[in-house]
Amino acid sequence: MPPAILIKIRKYLRPDGDKNAIRIRRRRKLIGALWASLPSVIVVLLAVGYLWMLSIPFPALGQRTYIDENALQPGQVNTHWNWDDVHRADRYLEALEQLRDRNASSVEVADYLATEFRRAGLSADTQEYSFFTTNGSKTGVNAYATFSSPRASGTEAMVISASWLSRTGEGDGTLNLRGVSTVLSLAWFLRGYSLWAKDLIFVVSDGYLEGMQAWVTEYHGVSQPNLQAEPLRLSSGVIWTALNIDYPGHSFSHLGVFFEGLNGRLPNQDLINSFQRISLYTGGVPMLVYDHRDDVEILGLPSWTPESIRDNSELKEYARRAKNVVRHVAYQARGQASGVHGLLHQFRIDAITLFAVPATGPHGFHAIGRIVESTLRTMNNLLERLHASFFFFLLVGPTTFLKIGSFLPSAVLISVAMMFCGLQGWVKAGWVWMLDEAQATKDEKVHKRVGNGRWSRRQRPVLKAVMVMAATHGLGVVVFYLLTRSWYLHNSTVAPLLVSSLLAVLPLTSLLLLPKQPAQEAPLPVMLKSLNLCLTSTVISILSVLNFSLAAVIAFLTGVPLCYASSSARSELRIAKYMAYTTLAFGWVALQRYEVLKAVANWELLGVWFAPFMCIVYAPLVLQAALVCLLPSESA
Amino acid sequence: MDFIVTFPALVAGRLVLALSPLTHYLRDDHLLSSPLTSYSRLQEGIYLFKHGIDPYSGSTFRHSPLLLSLFSTVIPLNEVTAAFLWTASDALAAWSLVRIWRARQNVSSSSRDSLIAGLYLLNPYTFLPSLGQSTSSFENALCLLSLMLACQKQASASLLALAFLIQLSLPSILLLLPLLLLLISEPTSHLASPFFFKTDIRRITPLAGQFAAYILLLSGAATLVCGNLNWVEKTWGASLTLPDLTPNPGLWWYFFTEMFDHFRPFFLIVFSVHLLIYVLPLCIKFQHDILYACYLLLGILSIFKAYPTLSDPGLFLSMLSLFPETFPYLHHPIVTALLHLHAALLLPLFHYLWLNQGTGNANFFYASTLVFGMANGAALLDSIWAGLRIAIGEVKEEHEVLQE
Repeated sequence: MPPAILIKIRKYLRPDGDKNAIRIRRRRKLIGALWASLPSVIVVLLAVGYLWMLSIPFPALGQRTYIDENALQPGQVNTHWNWDDVHRADRYLEALEQLRDRNASSVEVADYLATEFRRAGLSADTQEYSFFTTNGSKTGVNAYATFSSPRASGTEAMVISASWLSRTGEGDGTLNLRGVSTVLSLAWFLRGYSLWAKDLIFVVSDGYLEGMQAWVTEYHGVSQPNLQAEPLRLSSGVIWTALNIDYPGHSFSHLGVFFEGLNGRLPNQDLINSFQRISLYTGGVPMLVYDHRDDVEILGLPSWTPESIRDNSELKEYARRAKNVVRHVAYQARGQASGVHGLLHQFRIDAITLFAVPATGPHGFHAIGRIVESTLRTMNNLLERLHASFFFFLLVGPTTFLKIGSFLPSAVLISVAMMFCGLQGWVKAGWVWMLDEAQATKDEKVHKRVGNGRWSRRQRPVLKAVMVMAATHGLGVVVFYLLTRSWYLHNSTVAPLLVSSLLAVLPLTSLLLLPKQPAQEAPLPVMLKSLNLCLTSTVISILSVLNFSLAAVIAFLTGVPLCYASSSARSELRIAKYMAYTTLAFGWVALQRYEVLKAVANWELLGVWFAPFMCIVYAPLVLQAALVCLLPSESA
Repeated sequence: MDFIVTFPALVAGRLVLALSPLTHYLRDDHLLSSPLTSYSRLQEGIYLFKHGIDPYSGSTFRHSPLLLSLFSTVIPLNEVTAAFLWTASDALAAWSLVRIWRARQNVSSSSRDSLIAGLYLLNPYTFLPSLGQSTSSFENALCLLSLMLACQKQASASLLALAFLIQLSLPSILLLLPLLLLLISEPTSHLASPFFFKTDIRRITPLAGQFAAYILLLSGAATLVCGNLNWVEKTWGASLTLPDLTPNPGLWWYFFTEMFDHFRPFFLIVFSVHLLIYVLPLCIKFQHDILYACYLLLGILSIFKAYPTLSDPGLFLSMLSLFPETFPYLHHPIVTALLHLHAALLLPLFHYLWLNQGTGNANFFYASTLVFGMANGAALLDSIWAGLRIAIGEVKEEHEVLQE
């Protein structure tokens, strides 16, 4: 005889009676409890998701960076870059300044560069290109040189590049003369060593981004319809890694690292980490994330705030990290490259830009040369591509980062909440609680418990809802078509207004769908909301692995509005809600003209899919929520 | 809408797409064509064959010798003929599907005909592989043709179509038993009123003999084409021994890339034999409606076969339209649909992250094939549930159906 307590437990787990009846009862209880708690579960998921997003820059989160690939061995070599190399760089700078002062053309500059590369004993060439976009054409000439590795067959290569225009102000016209001089002097210097196991390719690209786009697409033999570029006469192996040097000022105090590529692609984090260590320990130059100096007053709070808040180190660290995260999201979500390196990412090349943050001192050619030399030696050590799953990271500080597991859930939780909300809507659309006629006047909630009513099935207007959704996405395609026409680009006032008023009015035609609704069918808004939420949730969770920042921004913008979109009885309220949602969907057409032009230019020039995504996916999804608000919930 | 109008319109639309340059981008996609069905490999084999080199001496060509002889003698394979051929094959498949539907409903035409044809011709899982000119489209067409002929009681033609199908893809042999049973029973829907198999089961013996004769005949023809028996190992053997581990949307390839070599034979046997265990139970459980058993077996094949492409699940999902009587009894159609939506977006995305962008690795794509497997499994299990549940009919208020 087992002890009494065991019998009790057994009885609790396996009560007497019909086994199946107990199963049914248990299942109903479970489903009932789940259904009753679903609204609060959704609220909790949304709250945790949003709070998680806000706590990403929190100092307690994140870990120190480390080198994952042992072969890299950063900073383990003696550097040989010396003052005569610096002197040569200075001489090149003088020559380039002369070219600048007499306003030399692209062809002249490129010819000069190619000649100098040849004088250094490298095979060099120039490449002319022209881009044709809706906004006019851009032409230029690149110069490049290759150095065959003395140690290997030249199947792999590294690129050292500088663009003619610096990334200061996203290519606002500041020249990158010192960066170009560094590359020229490095060409002389690096050629003198026999330890290279990979080919070296020196590229000086014209313009800011377009020159490198022309060079790199031609190098990989990819044709772009709106680009006419000379084919490259010199070739080399598969490019694994690349360093882009951007040195616009006279001297620098820190080296900033820029790493975001086109369409949110990131380079392997090992490259950034190696560079950070080399820069600090070999060159003695601290690394920054972007050009965010850590010595400036970050909080910018007014003087009347209490000392304890103004000088709180935790708070300062939070603000510092938040600044980095916001900058990162701004680049990644829009799919923009934060520098010339970003164009190389599309061909699986891990590349970063070293940005010499302009300052009055103390560093110059001597430091940057040594750092580049040592970084190239590290990259030279690679036996296989940087491959470890080190591509998903969020760099919050020079030596702190977040792993994928500590930032991805923020967006995914919001998307899960939306999915639950959508499934809840699906159930609600298929079932309706019918009251018994005798007690129909009383409160509904009481009846559920008493049981004076029953669930009855009704038809779901799935096809109608899907058609409405397809129509909104079709509208998105039309909008995208309009935005890429030249009359829109050249007409700065009328065109945006015309487009946005079209967008506000056209969806109203869906109101015509209503009179046909049969009584036995669920109201269209309920169905539409359910499917809209399911689709949005899918888009967010899938996008989060491709471009986390974009997924997070969309989750942030649409999470609460889409979950709590609902129709109401009063028609004025419905119209007001509709206007608000339409503004969220398409407001940027009228309000963010500069951004629209930039996104369209990026699409045409570099194939950044942010613009079509916003037009064809994001805006229609929010527009569907707007329609949910607009359509009357009960068909009269 | 009238079937006579919509069907040609749909086929014409498909033909325009097939002639567009889209095919070049889809031709070598791992999701759309496997090493056993790839168009590029077919071309390679034909080239070798025409130049007097045995295409089966290497390891790239794994198509049936019958395709080899067809394309090297009767029909030249080029951009234009391929577009017509693949569209015709899909048209044949859709037409067969409609004929199966008519036979099942015992009518000569119905208002759902256009819908059913549309569900096959516009199903992205079937039309993308067809645009990518994967020979799995031929397999689908032969499978539906064989089922259609069986529904119409044309035993010899049906068995010949099945024999051709097996020449192209060995795993389809699972369909033999249900097809034989279908030939001696009715294709009309009896899901709601189950009964024991009425006809004498021994009547399938002569049919099986006939089938064996066809198989021998076609194998003989194949051997004559090649001049030796190398093709057996390279074509049929491939789906049993998995020599080519090119990624595909199925569940085999990753498992066998990870495996130590000394376990390989054992797990190859497990994976292959595992497919066989479903045939008898399904035929027994659905003896009142063998067509439904065929449908379920195609679902199982689409999940578990060695070299699946998207057109295998596509065939299963398109066939769902034949059984509208089960729709009210489906447990979780929205979950299945969402799983498929996720899988359909994740598969190409993770494939891209791994092989193009380089930020992901093989595990990413494998994870997406697992999601895809779950989506197909959800569809299959729900179909089995609905097919059995329909027999119980409407239950009274406060009653529930429970599976023991």
